[in-house]
Amino acid sequence: MSRDPIIIINDLRVRIGGKEILKGVNLKVPKNCVFTIMGPSGSGKSTLLRSINRILDLYDDVEVSGDVVVDGVSVYDPKTDPIYVRRLVGMVFQIPNPLPHLTIYENVALGPKINRLVRSRRELDELVRWALEKAYLWDEVKDRLHVPAVKLSGGQQQRLCIARALAMRPKVILMDEPTSNLDPVATSKIEELIIELKNYLTVVLVTHNPFQASRVSDYVAFMYDGTILEVGSVDEIFTKPKNKYTEMYVTGRMG
Amino acid sequence: MRDGFSIVLKTSWNPVKEDYGILPAIVGTIISASIALALALVLSVSTSVLIVEVLPRRLRSLAEVLVDLAAAIPSVIYGLWGLYILSPFLKEFVMDRVVELGLGGIFGYPRGLGTSIFSASILLSIMITPFAASIIRVGLRSIPIHIKEVLASLALTKWEVIVMELKYIRRTIFTALAVAYGRAVGETAAVAMVVGNTLTTDFFKVFSPGYTISSLIADQYPNAEAYTYMVSALFTAGLFLFMLSLVINVLVMIYGEKR
Repeated sequence: MSRDPIIIINDLRVRIGGKEILKGVNLKVPKNCVFTIMGPSGSGKSTLLRSINRILDLYDDVEVSGDVVVDGVSVYDPKTDPIYVRRLVGMVFQIPNPLPHLTIYENVALGPKINRLVRSRRELDELVRWALEKAYLWDEVKDRLHVPAVKLSGGQQQRLCIARALAMRPKVILMDEPTSNLDPVATSKIEELIIELKNYLTVVLVTHNPFQASRVSDYVAFMYDGTILEVGSVDEIFTKPKNKYTEMYVTGRMG
Repeated sequence: MRDGFSIVLKTSWNPVKEDYGILPAIVGTIISASIALALALVLSVSTSVLIVEVLPRRLRSLAEVLVDLAAAIPSVIYGLWGLYILSPFLKEFVMDRVVELGLGGIFGYPRGLGTSIFSASILLSIMITPFAASIIRVGLRSIPIHIKEVLASLALTKWEVIVMELKYIRRTIFTALAVAYGRAVGETAAVAMVVGNTLTTDFFKVFSPGYTISSLIADQYPNAEAYTYMVSALFTAGLFLFMLSLVINVLVMIYGEKR
């Protein structure tokens, strides 16, 4: 991995309700790539993702040790404001979750508006349009920006969620199995979009699907039982895995 | 048909002449329930947010039990407390102060222990808050975790998240307040003890003693049999109260069905 890392994770350990979920994770995520964390259910992928932008703070009874550094900012430093981290790191979730009481426009505009990232209504309009274009959604919704977001199809809703994250102009986007609730057509659109996104930010993708990992990733980390068993370029992981569990997983014998 | 519909428009109440008008009681009911509702909105939303989002977990269940118990106190107890503690307190620290500012012409002048539409409103707001708060609490707790996560991921502060959550459950809050309003409109014993039970033509003066429909019925019914038409007049008042509740419930149903 020659490029500068944007995320560095050092010996990260997370306990939730007394149970150790992450057992010492070390990772370096290079800038402007799609970095995939792949592994079976319950391996700690989602917890790892949620530790990067401190969404774990929402859960009760969480203990974190070790550190995560994003773009030079130590995420768990007591002096670091989690709000600052979350501006730097956007997130897309497993369930397409536009806010149901808001319109398409309001969903995208909410973050920038509340965080005062824009100075005028016109700037906000432009930002919303930019984000929707980047999420390949603008042409489908430009005539109905002010209808409730829940009127969109599942795939459109997920692209709206990507636009909503993009509108914050983050340096990193975390995606937690963003296509697991979508049909194959909607999935391939989102995968195309993920590949496009790395031109201007870094994508950390969580998936349990090795085929998706092979289609979109530059780098893959294979996670199993709270630890990273193997990290490498997508070719290394899929053509000559060093770890026997990784090999079993990518060849479909486990998972 | 002696009076017809005019009974709900007249302000006079003169049993000797068998002349009955219930407009002051209707207005008193609507004013007291509305003031109570506005205060209960603030009280119930803030106690719910406090319990669900702010208090440390150890104190949550204690606070919750206390608020729920407040709903179980018999209304006659509230009435006594309102009559001997709340009303005199409000008279001394609120009503007299406002009158000193020269606003007695607008709000009216408190008398005696301070029993008035205003005291009844404050008492009602305290009484209906536990009901509204328990519904709002359920609403806050039912917000899916992925909605909370997305609000936090958009770099909203804790308070900004709470404001968005309240908007997210606004229908639940509306329903909670409607339930509370229904109770405020119909509450009898406690209100009858603090409202002052006086028929006045100046029924918009909230610091003066007044009547609500239910307190009028409770107060006048014992001697109604002595007159020819008073029972009928009080039944009309009861019918009107019933229709008021019906309208509120229908509005809630219409709003609740809308998506």
